[in-house]
Amino acid sequence: MSGPILSTHGLIARYGDFQALYGIDFEIAAGEAVALIGANGAGKSTFLRAVMGLLPVAPDMVRMEGSNIGGTATDRMVQMGVAIVPEGRRLFAGMSVEDNLRVAIDQAERLGRKGGWSLPRLHDLFPILKEKARTPVQSLSGGQQQMVSIGRALLCQPRLLLCDEISLGLAPKVIREIYAALPEVRAQGTSVILVEQDVGLAKQASDRLYCLLEGRVTLTGRSIEVTRDAISQAYFGGSHAVV
Amino acid sequence: MQWFDALVQGVLLGGMYAQYALGMALMFGVMKIVNVSHGDLVILLSLVGISLSSSFGLGPFTVMVALVPLALGLGWLLQKAILNKVVGEDPLPSLIATFGLSLALQNLMLQIWSANSRSLPGGGIESKSIQIGGIYIGLLPVIVLVFAVALTWGLDLMLKRSRFGRALRAAAADVEAAAMTGINPRRVYASATAIAVGILGFAAVFQSLRSTVAPADGGAQLIYAFEAVIIGGMGSVWGAFIGSMVLGVTQALGFRIDPGFGVLAGHLVFLLVLATRPQGLFGKA
Amino acid sequence: MALTATLPGPRLTVQRQTRSGRIALVLFVVAVIGLAAMPFWAKTGTIRMVLELCCYIAVAQMWNMLAGYAGLVSVGQQAFMGATGYALFVLAQTFGINPFIAIFLSLLVPAVLAVPCYLLLHRLDGPYFAIGTWVVAEVFRLVASNMGWLNAGAGMSLSVMKEYSAFERNLAMSLLCALMILVTIGGSYWFLRSRYGLALIAMRDNPVAAASQGVNVKRLRFMIYVAAAVGCGFVGAVYFMAQLRINPPSAFDPMWSNLAIFIVMVGGIASIEGVLIGTLIYFIADRYFGEYGASYFVVLGVMTVLVALYARGGIWGMVSKRWDAPWFPIRRHLIITKDMP
Repeated sequence: MSGPILSTHGLIARYGDFQALYGIDFEIAAGEAVALIGANGAGKSTFLRAVMGLLPVAPDMVRMEGSNIGGTATDRMVQMGVAIVPEGRRLFAGMSVEDNLRVAIDQAERLGRKGGWSLPRLHDLFPILKEKARTPVQSLSGGQQQMVSIGRALLCQPRLLLCDEISLGLAPKVIREIYAALPEVRAQGTSVILVEQDVGLAKQASDRLYCLLEGRVTLTGRSIEVTRDAISQAYFGGSHAVV
Repeated sequence: MQWFDALVQGVLLGGMYAQYALGMALMFGVMKIVNVSHGDLVILLSLVGISLSSSFGLGPFTVMVALVPLALGLGWLLQKAILNKVVGEDPLPSLIATFGLSLALQNLMLQIWSANSRSLPGGGIESKSIQIGGIYIGLLPVIVLVFAVALTWGLDLMLKRSRFGRALRAAAADVEAAAMTGINPRRVYASATAIAVGILGFAAVFQSLRSTVAPADGGAQLIYAFEAVIIGGMGSVWGAFIGSMVLGVTQALGFRIDPGFGVLAGHLVFLLVLATRPQGLFGKA
Repeated sequence: MALTATLPGPRLTVQRQTRSGRIALVLFVVAVIGLAAMPFWAKTGTIRMVLELCCYIAVAQMWNMLAGYAGLVSVGQQAFMGATGYALFVLAQTFGINPFIAIFLSLLVPAVLAVPCYLLLHRLDGPYFAIGTWVVAEVFRLVASNMGWLNAGAGMSLSVMKEYSAFERNLAMSLLCALMILVTIGGSYWFLRSRYGLALIAMRDNPVAAASQGVNVKRLRFMIYVAAAVGCGFVGAVYFMAQLRINPPSAFDPMWSNLAIFIVMVGGIASIEGVLIGTLIYFIADRYFGEYGASYFVVLGVMTVLVALYARGGIWGMVSKRWDAPWFPIRRHLIITKDMP
């Protein structure tokens, strides 16, 4: 693996007066899967939003292949090959499964993005989406909606995929089904950043992980080497661990 | 027979209102913006059309060919210069900005064209009519209705089938998620407003053929468009079309009862719908 | 006007008034007295001019309460001005009630009319609410134009006023003027400083959060809508009493909405100071440039657009960013004094 496909340098983000991130240094290589773990409110989703251009950040805080891209508009990020499976799925209500997916296909075409994903291939990955193609997305189950959301992001033909809590609120069986798609995604050469509450799942699915606490990185390392103890220490913070 | 005649005339009048209402429904559906200068733009385009016609001796359909692209450009400019800066959660900035624009436009038109009423010479089509079973039906109102149906149908088809239509619906449903799939919201908004005002290019020609226009008339057109959209139910172009029919028929029937009651009858039906079915006749509850 | 809370621990003082505020309050009281005493220092022409100015201030402040605090953008407050004006004319002229009693009785009309109007209109989404208020005003105008006992399109005259001498009329108009300013400006100030005011400011900043903190957003909006209707109604009654004539186009003139929006937006929304500044600008501009008619209104329109695009807080917004010297302070400052005896 060569240099990082994307990196952040002292990334700071705030919502109005509230500062959510305090200088995050992060990097991900081409083809790598990196997990972001941490308690609720640690800043994981904020990190993804900041990278994706959904929060204002300074240009030099985010770099993609050497150029400063912090604060680039979200649609331009997609054009550069970054896609996101957002928190809460954010499907286009009132539109069918197929139309939701078509929006991404349309835009990939418009932006001249090429890649290995197509509707038939997505249907191989998640067969239910073919069956439900004409169904309005709001009448799908949570797991099916998550599949549409992932499919929509993949059809943007990303080189880097950001996944925000894709297991949240789903049954274990459905979670396995969704996570089973990840190797297929990575086989495409796509890098993946996984935000995940379930630490076991996160370790399993990633090469490296970062643990966030109150907007700062408290632990980073190779997923198979990081111990449970180190994680719980980083997860709750030193002082909390003593108490 | 007198009432049936009023019904027919009302439907034909509705064809005119549909041409104002479509653009308003589109803009509100996508951006949650109401353009207060909507009616003034119709009047502005009408007056430009009338001037074009008298200066170059153009026929009404030639004027239309010139006016629609002009209207598209005007809409695009409106979005780029003003609306993109005020679109957002808070409805106040967009209302105030378009309100100010309305005030400026009305008075600008007053300066250029004076307060006089004018109309577009139609070369005879405005007075042609056909007699069917004892009812005289004007040729022009029928053409207006045909255009209204075609525009509604075309807009609906574009929203459902085209790439741009999907992007528009996506941005209407969740603008941030739309950006996450590569849609540039401002571009989509600019195209939506261009189309909304572009349709007014057709409306302007027909309005100035059917009756007269004067700089102060815009307010009434805005209100009719608004009532049609609310009566029909927000969020669908066919809803706006049906709402226009209901408004047209009500006004025509009211007018038969008493000439002073026509417009008021339309307002009252609007209030009645608001009281009993606030989501509109065809809106989802 | 400092409120002291005796609590154990550090001394907490809630400061609610400032030096600039006290000065402004004194000036306000002087102004109201000055208004009431106009017949003793001003000519009839001046009184008429001041009356018009006061009407602008009052209408603009009512619109400011609606749009600036309650989030209700109305372009149809002229509905209540006209309705109250007509009520006054009917009571005084048709039923022969003393006009100065009738003016207060007529205030019941906007109060009663505002309730069903609000119940209908609040179902409309933000920007649609605004156009809805306009439709209501149009309905009022058309109804008035069709009603025989309002003399339909021809309108009515208030000839009973001839029974009073010029001085009596001037005195009455001056007292009404003073009362109008006291009620609309003073009343708003009092309201904004009350516990409702706190809720209102919370609501303006974030309606969802305010609702979760126990602020009854819906009821507060309703109350303000009705109060603004009565306020505008009062202005309408006073204005048309001074005019001595009323007809549907003048009674329900949308010009009043244009004026209120311009004054509040340019002066500075959500502040009483802004209303005063905006009125002054409008009034002066109207005197000097009114003769240019249409082009003058083009400039007003463009100014409104520019404010909406680049300076949402208007002139007062820019001033208060630089100097923290409010004339009508409504914020509470918590002052913590460490030394406790």
